Amino acid sequence: MKLLQRIVVILALLAVVLFNSGPSFADAQTTQEVILRWYGLINGLVRHTPTYSPPVAARAFAYLGVMSYEAVASGSDNLQTLAGQLNGLKPLPKREAGKEYNNDIVLNAALVSFTQVFFENTGPFGLKAMTALGEQMTTKVSAGVAPDVVERSVAHGKAIATAIIDWSKNDGGAVIKNMGFTENYKMKVGPQYWVPTNQQALQQVPLLPGWGNNRTFAIPKISACELKPPIPYSEKKSSAFYKEAYEVYDAGNHLTEDQRALAIFWSDDPLLTLTPAGHGVSIALQILKRDNVDLEKSVDVLARLGVAQADAMIGAWHAKYIYGLLRPVTYIQRHIDKKWESLLITPPFPDYLSGHSVQAGSLSVVMTKEFGDNFAFEDKTGESDGLAARHFASFNDAAQEAAMSRLYGGIHYRGAIENGLIYGRCIGQYASALKTRR
Amino acid sequence: MFKICLSASLLFLGTAALAQAGVVVPHFADETANSGIHSIYKGDWQYMVGGGVAAFDCNGDGFPDLFIAGGENKAKLFVNKSKRGGALKFEEATSTGLEFDRATGAYPIDIDGDGIMDLVVMRVGESQVMRGLGDCKFAAANTSWNVDGGDAWGTAFSATWEKGNTMPTLAFGTYIDRKFEDEPWGHCTDNWMLRPNDKQDGYGPRIALKPSFCTLSMLFTDWNRSGTQSLRVSNDREYYEGGQEQMWHVDAGEAPRLYSEGEGWKYVRLWGMGIATADINNSGFPSYFLSSMADQRMQLLSDGAAKPTYKEAQFAMGTSAQRPYAGGDERSSTGWHTQFEDVNNDGLYDLFIAKGNVDKMPDFASKDPNNLLLQKPDGNFMESGEKAGILSYRNHRGAQLVDLNLDGKLDLVVVARRENAEVWRNVSNDLGHFLEVKLVEDGGNRNAIGAWVEVKEANGKTMNRENFVGGGHVSGKSGFLHFGLASETATQIRVIWPDGTKGEWQDVAADKFYELSKSAPPKEWVAK
Repeated sequence: MKLLQRIVVILALLAVVLFNSGPSFADAQTTQEVILRWYGLINGLVRHTPTYSPPVAARAFAYLGVMSYEAVASGSDNLQTLAGQLNGLKPLPKREAGKEYNNDIVLNAALVSFTQVFFENTGPFGLKAMTALGEQMTTKVSAGVAPDVVERSVAHGKAIATAIIDWSKNDGGAVIKNMGFTENYKMKVGPQYWVPTNQQALQQVPLLPGWGNNRTFAIPKISACELKPPIPYSEKKSSAFYKEAYEVYDAGNHLTEDQRALAIFWSDDPLLTLTPAGHGVSIALQILKRDNVDLEKSVDVLARLGVAQADAMIGAWHAKYIYGLLRPVTYIQRHIDKKWESLLITPPFPDYLSGHSVQAGSLSVVMTKEFGDNFAFEDKTGESDGLAARHFASFNDAAQEAAMSRLYGGIHYRGAIENGLIYGRCIGQYASALKTRR
Repeated sequence: MFKICLSASLLFLGTAALAQAGVVVPHFADETANSGIHSIYKGDWQYMVGGGVAAFDCNGDGFPDLFIAGGENKAKLFVNKSKRGGALKFEEATSTGLEFDRATGAYPIDIDGDGIMDLVVMRVGESQVMRGLGDCKFAAANTSWNVDGGDAWGTAFSATWEKGNTMPTLAFGTYIDRKFEDEPWGHCTDNWMLRPNDKQDGYGPRIALKPSFCTLSMLFTDWNRSGTQSLRVSNDREYYEGGQEQMWHVDAGEAPRLYSEGEGWKYVRLWGMGIATADINNSGFPSYFLSSMADQRMQLLSDGAAKPTYKEAQFAMGTSAQRPYAGGDERSSTGWHTQFEDVNNDGLYDLFIAKGNVDKMPDFASKDPNNLLLQKPDGNFMESGEKAGILSYRNHRGAQLVDLNLDGKLDLVVVARRENAEVWRNVSNDLGHFLEVKLVEDGGNRNAIGAWVEVKEANGKTMNRENFVGGGHVSGKSGFLHFGLASETATQIRVIWPDGTKGEWQDVAADKFYELSKSAPPKEWVAK
């Protein structure tokens, strides 16, 4: 009798585990393929669409993550919608009760619609690639599925995408003019303020000065996280500011091989890489694939990460245009060494806070919450660009390195980095606190 | 203090205004309709780049004839029937051997040193070296010279005579691997180089130039005046991964190797479309202009001949040309062929950039006129395309500034995607004096590729001009080198020959055409 009871208990536990774990990638290779192929293409599109600077890319990954999550959540007994939790997100279309849907088809249809709208301005090859993948994946996920299920699932996927796209339209970041360089921007005047750092006509004004006013996703308002000011500007050699600048100068002149490698690894330049947010998403995708993470957790992670990184960029841009601090290369050339140049290309916008650091801080919080502290992983994001993989003992280690890479690259002062990480961690808490499980 | 600053500002403004007023804007007349030129660069994605033109004399009359790539259309050779100083007139030649389909562009070069110009035709598929037979007839020479023309998307070419060789070393540039039409990113095919065989009667096996990064222009150029040309390569960042602009050491007897960061080569990445070069600031060293999307790049040598380090100066010099200057389209521009020449004969290099959207790229201008940037006496440039009469909104690609009617004033031919090529005659009547010279030497390098020509100016400066094959956007020319002399009616000229021999300074009169050789005084060229 006891044996029978034990067997019943074990079977019951097994049933609970099987029931609650949702479809794993191992059980649903097609679903994994839908996510990985579309995210892979979108990473390519981010890299090859001229308006996709880091804040714009972060925004797209947020909407993409939320949409993918909602497409799955609308058919899940375990997941609850983010409507009402994310700013401005209203209840999304529901599936018809009692009717059969196919998750892969819903997700794929949503991704087709989303990509067509968010990347309508990409180049001719991007457009061809979108069309080709759409046709390929639509054929694949529809194979063997009853026509009425296909029709219903496609309609639902499109409806989810439409709702997300509508939500995105009035957040302040939907229209990017002149590649994000606002021509009538009134520059702050004074020795401590940003000035152009290159010879590109387009970049004689800073990038996206209004981005910090955009609607945030998970943080209720931009002031929710405390923003520490930079140390006071000074040109005196004894000042803390001079010392911060000198640190960048000195580090740049004495880089170790590893410091140089990591600066380039985390460079994440727009139009040449996936951008910082895309890099973060790439890390997540590598882990989801490596660990065969189930679908529900996968879309949960991608949604939280997308939201955290987008809020991080809004927060960083908010800070950048409050302080308008000049870049190290400008200060160093004026006051330390007029021929000095940074290892990395100095981005065309103010220094403080470091966007990369804020983004990395937010990522570390979200990913640590999802996967745990001391979660080791390897990052192969730069492999196609010939950059060796880097190993990390935890997400915090990765964030620390990503942030410091900007000092080694010669493009940020330490204050912008360290305060950026703190600010980013605060922002990441809001995405981490989103309630996704019923 | 305020007064001093204000006075200085006013003085500066006054000087600038005077400088601008002192620039003569040339005037061009669109003679396309009656020129006899009708050639459309046609085709879909494999022809979104390319569309070149080669200007060279194929029949020995001295007038440049025009080979125009047609993409999916047949390429055409137009024989120049213009009278000196007269309207531009051409006749399409038939049965020339050059009626290729899938041609993207071409460069003229006398490969076998027989005094008859050959033509290297870049193609989607096998690129072809065509041996000139005279009277505008050509024969395929890939087989007889063992030229590996590849099977790639041919988009760039350049050549140099390495020390001791009678035949040139050839460099072929290629673009995207055509197998990856749906996701082309990161799929660039190898560029390669061909060196002459030991007998100097053909070529050895290809030498891959790895890594290659989807190249749209190549140029052998003596960047530090060492006497040896290096190979500059401009690459399209849209399609490469981990790529950058490149320059290769090409030293006789050694494998080509990339200039490194340690040597001073900087990491530059852009949508590289074309390379122009000239010593625009009389420094004795060439500067480079790289056409791209949005901001074009002007690169000036910054640390002297010891290091190939260039600083960008496009914004300061007024050559950014990042958006259309006319037509009301405020989106960013797309630059293609680019070339330095002196179009107003004032002794200062001017800059031409062909413009046109790749293919309905929404963030880039669809009405994107070609730029004609005139250099001012202060070294900066001013846009003059509209004033000069070359305003056109066709979708331009390759081009040449070349003296088509041998009147000492440079004319303009521009190829357009899906539209007819255009030709403008320089009809200015208020330009400065000019000088045109053709280099001739014995041996294989008949046209002295790699030579430098130096011409003295009235202001005590020297104009320096490199004689090269390559650059631009799949477009090249051979024949007379043109110099503007401003008010000078006579000057002195000398040649630094490819073997390093410095010729004597020779007296020459303005407004003449000369042939220059090592062993004889300048010989005035007279049309047959």
